[in-house]
Amino acid sequence: MKIIGVSACPTGVAHTYMAQEALEKEGKKRGYDIKIETQGSIGIENEITEEEAEAADVVIMAASVMIEDEERFEDKPTVNADVNDAVSHPEKVLDEVEKLMANQ
Amino acid sequence: MNMKATLKEIQKAFLSGVSFMMPAVVAGGIMLAISLATGEKGDSGVTVTNEFMKSINLLGTSAFAVMIPILGGYIAYSIAGKPGLVPGMVLGFLANNPVTVGSQEVKSGFLGAMLLGVCAGYLVKWMKKWKVGKTIRTILPILIIPTVAVFALGIFYIYIIATPLAFLMNGLTSIMRNLSGGSAVLLAVFIGLFGEIDMGGPVTKSVSMFTLALMNEGVYEPNGMFRIAVAIPPIGIFLATRLFKDKFNQGDRDASLAAGIMGCIGITEGAIPFVVSDLKRVLPATMIGTAVGCVIGAIGKVKCYVPHGGFIVLPVVENKLWFIAGILIGSIVTAVILGMLKPKLEEAK
Repeated sequence: MKIIGVSACPTGVAHTYMAQEALEKEGKKRGYDIKIETQGSIGIENEITEEEAEAADVVIMAASVMIEDEERFEDKPTVNADVNDAVSHPEKVLDEVEKLMANQ
Repeated sequence: MNMKATLKEIQKAFLSGVSFMMPAVVAGGIMLAISLATGEKGDSGVTVTNEFMKSINLLGTSAFAVMIPILGGYIAYSIAGKPGLVPGMVLGFLANNPVTVGSQEVKSGFLGAMLLGVCAGYLVKWMKKWKVGKTIRTILPILIIPTVAVFALGIFYIYIIATPLAFLMNGLTSIMRNLSGGSAVLLAVFIGLFGEIDMGGPVTKSVSMFTLALMNEGVYEPNGMFRIAVAIPPIGIFLATRLFKDKFNQGDRDASLAAGIMGCIGITEGAIPFVVSDLKRVLPATMIGTAVGCVIGAIGKVKCYVPHGGFIVLPVVENKLWFIAGILIGSIVTAVILGMLKPKLEEAK
């Protein structure tokens, strides 16, 4: 399964990146191909390209603020998670992804 | 959409607005703090005299001038996407600049920008869904949406919001007039509760005009109380982020450092990002804190001879120790209340 996602928090200096790390680590542990884009105060990093968005099966939105270029992910099944939850409980977010995909 | 989802969307819009506004608050606040620290204290507040520092001051006021429009703009952008941005900014600018109603100048500051930003966001979002023909479709985003949104909400603001606000401001002034004849402590509670309720908005402005008017009459105590209040919200928030490590993240702590510096120099605006992110918890904490600070000032008969606040006016304050005590204790009260109201980070939603 290919998972993509975006993390963004209000200040955009700490939680954004901690969420990315936590989610990617948990995803890889479960054997998924996972890439999380960060939209911090510096702007977009680890950007998800149009092609990657196209190829992905599911999107994780771990954002407590608005994000840029949301339309890239419009047609994909999406799991909305709180950015703080993604930091502290990435396993719950991944559980939700699996639950969503099982019902597809 | 149900109520809860809408509230969540609005909260997200506020947080987005704050995250875009933050660099302007920090850059502007630091420039202002540096330039004001070198200024001379006189009848008209702190005047920056050094030529180079005047330039730094200009940079600071420039950053502060765009801060509220950015807030309004990105609140609307978060709700409505690209076409929301400019209407939100224009309306934020309107809220942050005086509208003349009769003989009174009304400015609603960041609270007005938050309201107008949300209104602009939803108006534009709704307009985007209009079913229109192909020719209209092309001019909808470039002509119709910006013009109609700015016109409709601008007129709504000027006539439906600003006018009653002018009456409210007049009302506040007359209440304070009545109180100033009586108990100093009662007046202090009033100045404390309302003086920084909007961190430099219309209510602050009426309180400040009132204390200035009394200064002209040779009464300096109300100005003393008010100038204590000015410093408390940003310093209190700064202290809260240090005292309650489990309730604020590292980002909050970094951002509040700039706020703390601004507070010492009498720039309340440093607190605005924190207030916008969490109105219902931060405002009660700052209001009670400023009230406590003002009462301490009233008890100590603090007099301030210039219309500016924070520690930098200390040389021109009478009963200095009471002034310092007012700021410190008020800030600690703010910090403790805020710490009690804030949920732990883990539980934060």
